[in-house]
Amino acid sequence: MENEVRALRAERGLSQQQLGEALSVSRQTINSIETERYTPSLPLAIALARFFGSTVEEVFHVNSNDQ
Amino acid sequence: MSTATTSSRARWWHLPAFSLFLGAVMFAAAWIGDDLRAAIFSFLVMAAVAALFALGGRFETIRLMRQPDERWSAIDLRATAISGMSVVTVVIGAFVVELARGQDGQPWSLIGAVGGVSYIVAIAFLRWRS
Repeated sequence: MENEVRALRAERGLSQQQLGEALSVSRQTINSIETERYTPSLPLAIALARFFGSTVEEVFHVNSNDQ
Repeated sequence: MSTATTSSRARWWHLPAFSLFLGAVMFAAAWIGDDLRAAIFSFLVMAAVAALFALGGRFETIRLMRQPDERWSAIDLRATAISGMSVVTVVIGAFVVELARGQDGQPWSLIGAVGGVSYIVAIAFLRWRS
């Protein structure tokens, strides 16, 4: 699943560590989401979207391989 | 809504304490079995593991083992499933070999039965819960 997490995080000048701490997950989890190796749970996806003042649909995009 | 699936419940000392507890159980078992050397060795190994978990908080992997987030919990679940499948494969293999040797298949049949029944109970419970 493609996502805008890296771009949104970079826009705000945050490190993966800082974003992870804000969402109570590890830096590795943020890195795995950004590199699209891990698809977050719905609660974490919503928390990420809320953190960036956005919606889940704007942050995460389902591509044809995910369906 | 919480994104920290288990970290709020898991405490940093749970894993070291459990390692020490296991060490104490192994110590007692070996001591009862009249092998003081094995008892001390087992306890020291588990105490070293406990110390690694307790003092290794500087390392991210150990921090995650002590207080897993949702990705680590998912990894742990899959690793447990793989490990369980390995054990099941060995149990079935050993059971078949014992039968071929003219034995009754004990204790492998009992271990297999415990695994099978617990799997069915877990499936029923988790289906009921979800």
